[in-house]
Amino acid sequence: SAQWALASKASAPELSYADASPQATPLARTSLKEAVDQLKRQYHIQIAFREGLLNDKFVAEPGESGNSAIGVENNLSQLLRAFNLNFKKITARQYVIYAALGAPLGAPAPGDNVRGRVVFAEDGTGIPGATVILKGGTQVGTSTDADGNFDLKIPAANQEKSITLVVSFVGYTTAELIITDRTALATVKLAKNEQALGEVVVTALGISKQKRSLGYAVTEVKGEDLTQARENNVANALTGKVAGVNVSGLSTGPGGSSRVIIRGNGSLSGTANNQPLYVVNGMPIDNSVPGQAPSANGGGTNVDRGDGIASINPDDIESITVLKGGTAAALYGSRGGNGVILITTKKGRAQKGIGVEYNTSETLESISVLPDFQYEYGQGDGGVKPTTLAAAQATGRRSWGSKIDGSTDYVGVDGLTHPYVAQKDNLKNYYRTGRTATNTVAFSGGTEAISYRFSLADLDSKGILPGSRYNRKTANLNLSGRLNPRLSFEALAQYNIETAHNRPSAGDASANPNWSPYMIANTADVRWLNPGYDANGNETVWNDAGIATNGYFVINKFQEDDRKNRFIGQGSVSYELFPNLVLKGTVSQDHYDYNYANITPTGTLYALTGQYVGIKSDVTELNGLATATYHRQIKDFGFSVLGGVNRRHSELNELDQTGIGFTIPYFYSYNNLASSTTLALSSRQEVNSAFGSADFNYKSWLYLTVAGRNDWYSTLSPANNSQFYPSANASLVLSDVLKLPEAVNLLKLKGAFAQVGQGAPDPYAVNLTYSNVPSSGQPLQNVSSNTPGSGIAGITNANLGPVLSTTTEGGIEGQFLGNRLSFDLTYYNRLTDKDIVNSTISPTSGYNSVYLNAGRVRNRGIEVLVSGTPVKIANFSWNTSYNMAYNDNRVLSLAEGISSINLASTVGNWGNINNIVGESAFEIVGTRILKDAQGNTVFNATSGFPVATGLQSLGKSVAPLTMGFSNDFRYKRFSLNLLLDGKFGNKVFSISEVYETRLGLLKSTLAGRESGLELTGVTQDGGAYNRTVPVSGLRGYYDNYKNYSELFLHDGSFVKLRQVIFSYNLPAFHISKLNLQSATIGFVARNLATLLRHTDFDPEQSFSNGNYQGLESIGLPRTRSYGVNLSVKF
Amino acid sequence: CTKDFVELNANPNAVGTLTPEYLFTKAQYDGVANSLLLLLGTMQYTTSFNDVAGFGSKYIASQVNSSSSSFTSAYPGALNELSLIINAVKDDPAQVNLLAEARIWRVYCYSRLTDVYGDIPYAQATLGYTDNQFTPAYDPQQAIYADLLKELDEAAQSLDATKPTFGAADLIYAGNTAQWKKFAYSQMLRLGLRLTKVDLAGAQTWATKALAGGVITADADIAKVTYLATGQIINQNPVAYNLYISDYIAANGSTNQEGGKYQDVFIDYLKQTRDPRLGIVSVVYTGGSPNVTDTTFAKQQGMPANLGAKPANFARLSEPNPKTVLLRNSPVLVFTAAESYFLQTEAALRGWSGGTPATLYASGVGAALRQWSIISPSDGTLPASKISAYVGRNQLVTTGFPQQMQQIYTQFWVSIFPDAQESFASYRRTGYPALTPNNYPGNATGGQFPRRFLYPVSEQNLNPVSYAAAIARQGPDVLLTRVYWDK
Repeated sequence: SAQWALASKASAPELSYADASPQATPLARTSLKEAVDQLKRQYHIQIAFREGLLNDKFVAEPGESGNSAIGVENNLSQLLRAFNLNFKKITARQYVIYAALGAPLGAPAPGDNVRGRVVFAEDGTGIPGATVILKGGTQVGTSTDADGNFDLKIPAANQEKSITLVVSFVGYTTAELIITDRTALATVKLAKNEQALGEVVVTALGISKQKRSLGYAVTEVKGEDLTQARENNVANALTGKVAGVNVSGLSTGPGGSSRVIIRGNGSLSGTANNQPLYVVNGMPIDNSVPGQAPSANGGGTNVDRGDGIASINPDDIESITVLKGGTAAALYGSRGGNGVILITTKKGRAQKGIGVEYNTSETLESISVLPDFQYEYGQGDGGVKPTTLAAAQATGRRSWGSKIDGSTDYVGVDGLTHPYVAQKDNLKNYYRTGRTATNTVAFSGGTEAISYRFSLADLDSKGILPGSRYNRKTANLNLSGRLNPRLSFEALAQYNIETAHNRPSAGDASANPNWSPYMIANTADVRWLNPGYDANGNETVWNDAGIATNGYFVINKFQEDDRKNRFIGQGSVSYELFPNLVLKGTVSQDHYDYNYANITPTGTLYALTGQYVGIKSDVTELNGLATATYHRQIKDFGFSVLGGVNRRHSELNELDQTGIGFTIPYFYSYNNLASSTTLALSSRQEVNSAFGSADFNYKSWLYLTVAGRNDWYSTLSPANNSQFYPSANASLVLSDVLKLPEAVNLLKLKGAFAQVGQGAPDPYAVNLTYSNVPSSGQPLQNVSSNTPGSGIAGITNANLGPVLSTTTEGGIEGQFLGNRLSFDLTYYNRLTDKDIVNSTISPTSGYNSVYLNAGRVRNRGIEVLVSGTPVKIANFSWNTSYNMAYNDNRVLSLAEGISSINLASTVGNWGNINNIVGESAFEIVGTRILKDAQGNTVFNATSGFPVATGLQSLGKSVAPLTMGFSNDFRYKRFSLNLLLDGKFGNKVFSISEVYETRLGLLKSTLAGRESGLELTGVTQDGGAYNRTVPVSGLRGYYDNYKNYSELFLHDGSFVKLRQVIFSYNLPAFHISKLNLQSATIGFVARNLATLLRHTDFDPEQSFSNGNYQGLESIGLPRTRSYGVNLSVKF
Repeated sequence: CTKDFVELNANPNAVGTLTPEYLFTKAQYDGVANSLLLLLGTMQYTTSFNDVAGFGSKYIASQVNSSSSSFTSAYPGALNELSLIINAVKDDPAQVNLLAEARIWRVYCYSRLTDVYGDIPYAQATLGYTDNQFTPAYDPQQAIYADLLKELDEAAQSLDATKPTFGAADLIYAGNTAQWKKFAYSQMLRLGLRLTKVDLAGAQTWATKALAGGVITADADIAKVTYLATGQIINQNPVAYNLYISDYIAANGSTNQEGGKYQDVFIDYLKQTRDPRLGIVSVVYTGGSPNVTDTTFAKQQGMPANLGAKPANFARLSEPNPKTVLLRNSPVLVFTAAESYFLQTEAALRGWSGGTPATLYASGVGAALRQWSIISPSDGTLPASKISAYVGRNQLVTTGFPQQMQQIYTQFWVSIFPDAQESFASYRRTGYPALTPNNYPGNATGGQFPRRFLYPVSEQNLNPVSYAAAIARQGPDVLLTRVYWDK
């Protein structure tokens, strides 16, 4: 009989990895095991097989296997064909090899046998070669045939007992099945178990490594997790998913930017990019925001123009790996210090015919948090409501009127009488339901020589702001091929066209479409302002300040258009010079052309003849990389070395066009401007690098990697522009060394040390230069700005040298109970030294900023990941994962003699962002109301107002504590994903509330409305102070509150139900000629509910992806979105 | 691998060496443009019903920080530009005129700044690049004045007609060293007399020295910066442009974005004195399309400064004449013959010169009326008969120094419009014209006239030690603290 005798640990099939020691082989032949091993190294993949399966099998020509670069699957099928072995792809980089045919095990005998079928849970096809054994230590078992069928003979001893079958297959989770009716056909579904295979992740430079070998924390997110979220900007889909990765989606509408910070802000510089590097298929892409990220105090052109990552189509992504800092990303050198987000795109593979994938989705969005204003006193001033049009216009944004009483002599800004009642739906009435439709179609296929994947995608979005639109078209082509057994190539081309119309501005009131719906008086219906213009097309007055633009005029008459044409091209050639020595060269270019025009129309109250702002820019990021790698395994000792050189050249060329006054009214052309200026702007940087690394492993339980890199930076002083820095990391798999309880599947210690340098964030910061100032008369000249584009005179630094950031990290990882429970705990300490900060300085120095090369900032923290499968039964499973990270950020020192530097301010300097020694970086700074020792308010007896303190530190702008909690429930073909995330410990300064206080909208302005506000306190001399602010003076009194920042500061902590995805995997079916392989329909909701917040607005109401966070600035309200997604494969 | 880095890191749109001429033109533009226009409200020439734009005339507590803008712009603008020029030319004897003219212009810029704020960074200012001085100390105004007067003296004496000049890059005198000398001594007269309240002897010394050196008296010697009608904004008259763009661009009397109008105090005074300049500076709109301006004497009416909302008759109130005050290619008069004569009148009254006060005063009034023809030859020129009639009606009274001072400095107030910054200094020193402060609800002064304006909040943030030392010496950073010469 061919009944299988299996070891007792049936629940954990023995796996043998192809990195086991090679066998001695005759010269002309190589062992199959060695050939498979070679494939594994060549492709950085993991291949599992049952122990002994490949033994005593040899392939004829050593050169034929393993050294080709195209199609791992073609190779495998070639190799395995002769041995009647088969393979299956489990994940992008994990394969299993199994016997193609299961042997029927003895003659079936009715009543004595249990028959059934074992199928893959994901597609229902039969699993050949799965093991089916009888539970109970009887050593009775069989394996399935080519179609997954089995027929197990039950020994007589068990004839009368109830029996349980244990079904297992490499790479899949073992299932148990209780047989109640032995005559019925049993069906067993096996689900993938990726952990059982030993997780493989992509690391720096696209090198795949076993996760167990890494001495640093790394997290992978699968593409489907990102596509299901249906976030336009794929970076936002990372929210809450990875410990230590702090993602802030912006509320700037479709096409907006994202802000991702990993392990805290590493640089104190306002202009430095504290965000991670984005790498697509091994090569960096540009993530800049054209023009500049919006500021907290800008006007009409202060819009978020979208970042680079926003143009990546999530449907093209196979997986994303997050390298959290220098320890993981040292090979990326200066740009890896803030972490790297590695994006691997989908590729084609050899197959019969053309594979077609189609994905379509439709999402709707609406405002997440509506304001909670006071509705007791309505429009007016001094306690009096308007009863004439003039009074209505004077008080259009003042809710300082009389008690809301429903009286009918109230006149609105439309000149009509209305009942004097609260209008609570202004936001709902003003904004619309946003709508985004996405369609992606992808074709893939290939032969053994060449494979391809080509996708076309269209994303069309209408934001909640009426009239705003965003469209993104993406074409993505991935080709890979083998030119001969040693020479292979891979090429990627992506072309994007992004267009947007009327992106909303924020910051100040001018041209801000969000101003009127929020600030309009609480008894006025915002629709009375519609359409915002008169018969001539000029803005209609709705309030006393022309600068506070009528929102409908912005919607209907302002014109903001931008178009980005982006091309990302990559090509790489790989050549195996000698066995185990591979040379690889890669070039990539990310280039975009950008056109932006913002027209302030004729008739705008604050700019009657109109204004024009245009940006024409092209940005190129060019990278060349050459590497040589060599692998060797000698007995128990394996090593590989890598050496390489890299050149990065980035260039920006920009023309900034501004003008005032359209000569022919209402005709909007740059050529029609009474006064216009075009300024050329350039930024060029280059970094040349040489690097090397060596990996060692001993018996696959001790791993060590050492690496070094030297960078030469063009942006630094020629005397000080070369920098070498080392790194090392090690991993010890304790569970393979020590005898641990059976419940422990993996226990690993890890540790890493890395230094990463950095050049100056901006070019031209070394030598002071002089620039011409546009003039129609005599030539004019002044000091050039030291930051391209800022236009503000700044001091350069002739000795500018590199920044050095040093990270140490250590941790422990474990997997238990048959991988049902796992944890990962990491501690890190990152110190950035000699940070280059373009610091704001007192203008009395003659300059507004200076490049200092002296900052020290520390980030240290812990990251915790706990995941598990609490429930797993036949048709139902629950997977859960919790991550938490705490980052302690502290400014240790600034330049000598400087203890505080200012980086940004709101309108009116009401809120500031400073770096202060001893506080966290980018601290919120402002004033408080002065109190005496007894807590009495100190008043200025002359003015009658409370005295403001000097500027004080008010709180952190970045949350130190972040967490995410994800739950996946599966029942048969249904699945439900719930993701909660939270941030804690930061503050938010609200510019909206400054205005809402000044304008009498907040409930806090109700005190004193009836009969005046009694003030008691002390004078500056300590005497008693009393006065009553009359109702007529309330507005002036509350207006002055803007000088006390603390009144508008809130705890920014929150917990949100970030994501709910409910999906159904349709059974495969055939419709005439349509061969549908799989279809999934999903319902998705994002930002569904805020479970905890301390603000009356959405605490994530962020407007800029720059370093200045923590300032809410009257931007587009944040939204929740919900939609449906259908994905089919042919 | 770094051989092309130096070239790569050189800004392709900038040069490594400065051209003093180009910076000097820029410094002249910047120096003139950096005037605190809100003082037009404080000196009761204009006002607005709007709280923000009306700060100058209402001194509302919640808007006090808007008074810091001039301080913030001065240093990275004209002052640093002049510092760069001076460093570039100071060691070359051939460029002595460039050095002297830059020094004289720097005195103008610094004096206007210290007059508004009091103690300011001076000796250590604009040394950010050369000395890494990022937190300059504030100097006492007394010391600043001493140095400014010394600078004028030295620079005036160093001018040499045989050496090269800035030439056409000098928008004020096209390099004429004799005129620069007069401008230097005229400033010395202005700054010297500024000291009369605190240091009468010093005032006399400097005034005497200035008069001996020769001050501006001829219309042709008036220090003025010339502008263009179109093109870049920087080439246009900044006072005219800013008024025009912020309030009067609609030219219809009603769509004034910031609610601006002439203040009733100014218009009433001109009407009351039957001043022929009223029709030059002021118009009302009478409707129609295009809207018609009317300069008729009787129709002119200013707006009270105590309004908090747009008045019903707003459209019919007087506002700056688009053909004169708002004329964007008109020159900005930096130092007029009229001012020189009025200062000389005071010096003569004090017995510091041999001049006849009544004659000097009459010359001043006449020059003040004539200077509008420099601003706008077509719409600002008054017939000689009207000028002489007005001069005849307004002769210097013969009795009482205070009465004479009131007469001089009330006329000075009218004559120097729209240079409200100089008017504000003169008012604080002399107490004239006798303006009634505006006691608007929520004002920061308890209804008193402001005596200075506030340092930027950013100084507390960026230069806290120096700031604190200045406050400790000068007094609190509030509107009522008096500067050194106003004690």
